[in-house]
Amino acid sequence: MKSDLSTESRKSKEEKKVLRKQLKASHTLLKHEGVCTTPQPTKSLVIANGGLGNGVSREELTAVLQEMGEVEKLLMPPHKPYAFVTFRSEDGARKAHANLNGWKLQCGESSITLYLSYVDSVKCKEGASVPLPEGLALVEHFVSPEEEAQLLNVIDWSPTQGDVTAQKSLKHRRVKHYGFEFRYDINNVDKDKPLAAGLPDECVPILQRCVEQGHTNVLPDQLTVNQYESGQGIPPHVDTHSAFEDTILSLSLGAKTVMEFRHPDGRVAAVVLPERSLLVMKGESRYLWSHGITPRKVDMVPAEAPRADAPTEPGIQSNLTLSRRGTRTSFTFRKIRHEPCHCAFPSACDSQGAPSPSPGPSLPSCPADAARLEEEYVHRVYSTIASHFSDTRHTPWPRVCHFLSSLPSGSVLADVGCGNGKYLGVNADLVGCDRSTALVQICAARGYHAFVSDALSVPLRTASCDACISIAVIHHFSTAERRLAAVKELVRLLKPGGQALIYVWAFEQEYNKQKSKYLKQIFKEDHGEFSSTNLLSEKSQKSSGEKVSDLSCHLENSHKPSDMQGVSRVPDARLSVHTNRTAFTSQDLLVPWHLKGGKSTVPVFHRYYHVFQQGELEHLCAQVSGVKVKSSYHDQGNWCVVLHFSII
Amino acid sequence: MKLLTHNMLTSHVKGVTKGYPLLIKATEVKVNQLDFNPQFVSRMIPKLEWGALVQAAEDLGYRQDLPGELIADYEQNEEFLKKVHRVLLEVEVMEGCLKCPESGREFPITKGIPNMLLNEDDA
Repeated sequence: MKSDLSTESRKSKEEKKVLRKQLKASHTLLKHEGVCTTPQPTKSLVIANGGLGNGVSREELTAVLQEMGEVEKLLMPPHKPYAFVTFRSEDGARKAHANLNGWKLQCGESSITLYLSYVDSVKCKEGASVPLPEGLALVEHFVSPEEEAQLLNVIDWSPTQGDVTAQKSLKHRRVKHYGFEFRYDINNVDKDKPLAAGLPDECVPILQRCVEQGHTNVLPDQLTVNQYESGQGIPPHVDTHSAFEDTILSLSLGAKTVMEFRHPDGRVAAVVLPERSLLVMKGESRYLWSHGITPRKVDMVPAEAPRADAPTEPGIQSNLTLSRRGTRTSFTFRKIRHEPCHCAFPSACDSQGAPSPSPGPSLPSCPADAARLEEEYVHRVYSTIASHFSDTRHTPWPRVCHFLSSLPSGSVLADVGCGNGKYLGVNADLVGCDRSTALVQICAARGYHAFVSDALSVPLRTASCDACISIAVIHHFSTAERRLAAVKELVRLLKPGGQALIYVWAFEQEYNKQKSKYLKQIFKEDHGEFSSTNLLSEKSQKSSGEKVSDLSCHLENSHKPSDMQGVSRVPDARLSVHTNRTAFTSQDLLVPWHLKGGKSTVPVFHRYYHVFQQGELEHLCAQVSGVKVKSSYHDQGNWCVVLHFSII
Repeated sequence: MKLLTHNMLTSHVKGVTKGYPLLIKATEVKVNQLDFNPQFVSRMIPKLEWGALVQAAEDLGYRQDLPGELIADYEQNEEFLKKVHRVLLEVEVMEGCLKCPESGREFPITKGIPNMLLNEDDA
């Protein structure tokens, strides 16, 4: 570690330049976060990249900091890509500043480069802790380690048991039902068909304890056992009202996890479920809040186990760290409901006319469905998120710029799906159009030529353009026919000899053993700080010698630490909700967008995407007559083609 | 909407064969002062539908004395290029609508932005 300073003096000019740039960027970005750095040494430092949001755990960071001097306080704000350290003495801070700038911290499999700057004072806006949902209770140490082992032993996952207990291997977890089978296709139980295997005997004393302690007053008659490996999860859902009575009891065994509860108004409460704890869901927490487990391998949890007798500081979570997940098995006990539900939450109640719980949209089966899906899950979302979206789309992608600048000046160019006009500024010959009025207004305010229109019906004369671009547009069409129609419409605009450049999001986010930036930008904050965190992570990538092109494709602001898989599709045609910054698990999906707002009450919007597999875009374009695919390539998580149009 | 954009737009209503040029019905027009770039104007001119531009300028009352036929050697004619610059880039329709010459379908222009969306069935 001491050698770091001398290493630096050996650095080439180029490396120094990169470092300077990185520091500069960090400073600017930190200003965006409201953190002022100072050149004067103080006792406190901000450590850029050394945050929970970058996958750095408190333990890992503490270890290197302590070598510099006695640490008074280490503050790691949730999801942020930075941390604050205060040393007992200024000397410690000086030492850290001198030795740890540019230090590569090994975190699990990846190495993270730290950049430190002095700060006058440590203040950070930490997320106020959300109180537990109404009706939710967590009872720690509900079963003993012996009972835990016994219960885990009861479950025989061998397939021969399947016929008596109903067992399924869902994409991201193993599930087994006792008493009655919960059918994921209908989101309900077949109440007339009890399973041959009732609840295991070993459960009886546990359930009696639940009754004795007043957690429930009826004995459950249905048990669902879920087994989650590290990295697996369950999509957010409300247990079907008409299927089960009020109280739901869930035992966590084997390992802890974090369960997220979401209120329809946008509130989110993350609840740590320690092993051997009992979760009791009643009332609002059972009927109105959805609950789910984000598939990931690492959770953000309080650094010390919360003690019931310790007074908690409301609103302060200064002791967060990361916890790696193990294999967790949950036993969920429910009582089958035989009468319609009369709960006080009709908006979420299938007995009272609400659609069955969180059905979500399905892949369209006819053109009208497709148009409706795109209207709700593309157009409306863009019009709502337009200004925030625009804030995140400031840097044109270099290869698109290269295409535009390779065209002779005076060309007639159209950007079909121009968004906020990112490329309209690159080439003055461009005219843009977009489906979203709100985005076109942003273009107009910037002085660009743009109008509102649909990519399937562009009001430009046939054969009027020398070139067209369609960047990140065609993946929003929900059927193959409509995607083809979009390419045809683009080609219709071309003069003979004209060219078109098309970018669509790729299913393959890892190409030539390189992860796309979309995947690399892990651990982002959910309230729009990603633009700055991306810059940080991008800058840090520079040092690892990678080609830096652009602030990434598809800057979805993810809200979850995520080196894990996405949420799977349950066995029906419903579209799955993608977990931001993870590999895709299906080609048709909904991608969440979290509006900037800093409050957990901001709702989440979902955009429909069809992500393209390798070769699919070329195949699509080959169906258009007169078109030759001049070149095709993978660029930052996108499949891209340059088309050449000639007279047929 | 600048007249450069208007020059490119056409009606795309289903079944329409002669949707160009769109008629402009303006209720608010403004003129912006923009830097004159003779090279840009010169290289745009051959790309334009000249007649449609002159007609649009006429309708809005900004034709100046632009000829119905494009003149030769306009590249050297700075005075001419300035006039084209004015109608092409400085005149902007802020409110009003564009009307399809064949079907009569109108497309609103609001805050300078033409909205050319059609319903799914007349697309």
